[in-house]
Amino acid sequence: MSHRTAGLWEQFHGAIFGVLPRIPYAAPETPVAGPAIRAEGLTAAARPDGPVAFTDVALEIPVGCRAALVGPNGSGKSTLLRVLAGLTPARAGKVEVLGRAPALGRRRVAYLAQRPDLTPYFPLTLRRLVQMGKYAHHGWFDECRHGDADVDQALRLLELGDLAERPVHALSGGQLQRGLLARATVQGAELLLLDEPYAALDAASRAIVERFLAERPAGLTVVMATHDPADARRSDRVLELRGGALRLLHDCAGHDHRHA
Amino acid sequence: MLEPLLAPLREEFFLRALAAVILGGMTCACLGAYVVLRRMAFVSTALTHSILPGIVGALLLGCSPYAGALAAALLTAGGTAWLASRRGTSEDSAIGVMLSVMFAAGIALMQQARSWRDFGGLLFGSVVSVGPEDLLAIGLTAAVVLLSLRALHKELELASFDEEYARLLGARPGLMRAVLLALVAVGAVGCVRLVGALLTTALFVIPAATGVLLGRTLAGVMAWGAAVAVLGGIAGLYLSYHAPGVPSGAGIVLCCALPYLLARLFAPRR
Repeated sequence: MSHRTAGLWEQFHGAIFGVLPRIPYAAPETPVAGPAIRAEGLTAAARPDGPVAFTDVALEIPVGCRAALVGPNGSGKSTLLRVLAGLTPARAGKVEVLGRAPALGRRRVAYLAQRPDLTPYFPLTLRRLVQMGKYAHHGWFDECRHGDADVDQALRLLELGDLAERPVHALSGGQLQRGLLARATVQGAELLLLDEPYAALDAASRAIVERFLAERPAGLTVVMATHDPADARRSDRVLELRGGALRLLHDCAGHDHRHA
Repeated sequence: MLEPLLAPLREEFFLRALAAVILGGMTCACLGAYVVLRRMAFVSTALTHSILPGIVGALLLGCSPYAGALAAALLTAGGTAWLASRRGTSEDSAIGVMLSVMFAAGIALMQQARSWRDFGGLLFGSVVSVGPEDLLAIGLTAAVVLLSLRALHKELELASFDEEYARLLGARPGLMRAVLLALVAVGAVGCVRLVGALLTTALFVIPAATGVLLGRTLAGVMAWGAAVAVLGGIAGLYLSYHAPGVPSGAGIVLCCALPYLLARLFAPRR
């Protein structure tokens, strides 16, 4: 499209869609002081009619903390992360995430599934995928324009700059996972809930993600389900889910609770 | 030399048919991008087939055939969602039930109307007999569908690509699915004169499937699909004009299938 046609298209588009109201996806929230996550008596199940994954869990994670969630397969790590993300309702108990009950439509909370369920062969470039993080800032009826500085910055941060125009289905598992992290960055999330982010990564991607997490901004809280003892060692706080109960193994101040 | 191309353009019915295939082709191809990518081909078939009892019922009751068709298509969409909302009935079988029940109801109603011949155009299309009021219906359909797709482009794209992220952002993927089904119903009803209730699925699926082979972005898929539908539609009209043995609806579908076959054979693998 030539410059002139593009200009005309913009004018036409503006004339038609300029009249539509800009409605946010969800009401904006005001930040509240306090821990990033606080839960008491939390009980939840993976499925509404399924067995309970954990009962009466208490949990507190301060802002800026990097927490590792460990435990055997099927111990409820994914369910706990999904409850915090607002995707799965809790059966009982009280839980606050960034000062509010978990809910959908929260820009400040980002969640990365272990195996993201993306439509195969969808015609989408990596740049467009990362740009989706901006949608929450725009809301209904507002198109994001190309050339967004944050999108480029997030792509560079996760060393994806050269792949920006590549179709998503042509990316490796590690590149895709980094793209999804870049999307969470662009979203402006203050809490990252990561479900085994290293499961699909080769060593190179893993090092990039590791650096991203180590150099994260001070206010960014990370909760990561993992099976790897090395991740647990790099975390400020280690929580173990086992047999339906949650135990604190290690906390930010460096105290080892295993023998307490 | 250009006479075979120019001669039809002097006929008013041909010009109306051209306008109908251009507007209807773009509408079906752009909606078709979602139908193909979200694997909604079967539900789109159910919606297009359910138009039959809608139109025949409306004629028996003496109301507008477009209103009857739209009511029947929306009933099918709602009925499918309701049947599939309970465990034990997959969406697939819910669609199969609604499709066959609605089509059987259409056949029964046609028997009541005691006239099979009048409904040939409804089943197989009759774009060459499109009147001004049909053209108006196609134009309105195109406007409603294309403006809705444009206004909700990023939400529809997000919900179709990554439903869970759409939920997390609060972008209502369930609502977007319902909007798409309603738009497919509207598009199927508005474009029924092009190729008929039995073949409208072809206009949703074939151009967009070509677009998926050639486009790199969703907008690119829609643009390629629209080009295939419009050019295939025009070629089909000329084909049936010069070869009167070929009905226009069949001609349009066959002319759209040719570029799909070429793209399937020669498009670069990505």
